[in-house]
Amino acid sequence: MKNWFKLISWVAVIMTGALLIYGIHDMPAWGDPDSPANAHVSPRYILEATEKTATPNIVSAVLADYRGYDTLGETTVIFTAAISCLFLLRRRGGKK
Amino acid sequence: MLEYILAKYNFWIYVVLMMIGLYAMMGKRNLVKKLIGMNIFQTSIILFFVSIGVKKGGATVPIIMGHGHGHGQHLIKVADYLNPLPHVLMLTAIVVSIATTGVALATLILIYKRYHTLEEDEILAIRKDPSSYKTLG
Repeated sequence: MKNWFKLISWVAVIMTGALLIYGIHDMPAWGDPDSPANAHVSPRYILEATEKTATPNIVSAVLADYRGYDTLGETTVIFTAAISCLFLLRRRGGKK
Repeated sequence: MLEYILAKYNFWIYVVLMMIGLYAMMGKRNLVKKLIGMNIFQTSIILFFVSIGVKKGGATVPIIMGHGHGHGQHLIKVADYLNPLPHVLMLTAIVVSIATTGVALATLILIYKRYHTLEEDEILAIRKDPSSYKTLG
């Protein structure tokens, strides 16, 4: 039973790895300035963020200004995690 | 073959890390080891995204100094600054990973208090047959 379980997880892991390695073929080279991720959207942010948000740090500008609602949701995630930790670890009333 | 691997060696590293994390999540029986596997998995994804934003050829961190409002602007060259978007997304991902790790650790404490073990098969045996539950002193 136990070996059977390990075998199944090995097969799943190796299949996933093979799929990922197959996907590497299409990835751009390391540090390529013209790769799709670097060429399409991000130049606009680099060129316009300082002027539009008056923030030197583009990461902060995007995090708190362009994606402000995303950051609001992120704080909701932290808040939910903190509240659930509080309720999970709270000492049960009465008993020590 | 070796050159083929070395050309995009970063992606191979992330694939290996992700496989380690996935195996730890699926194949291990200890719940803490599963949690560590989940963290390795998330770390591989974070490294993958950060490596996507790298630009060769002298690009620095995306902080633009000396560009005030309108006056005295030099030309900003896109190739001089790293891609900021993966960094932003991974800030969010790190926060989510911290939150999940915290809640999972709190849950593990509760599981240990209830069953006095963190081994998955022992917990399942106790749930199937509560008389096998051995109390700790």
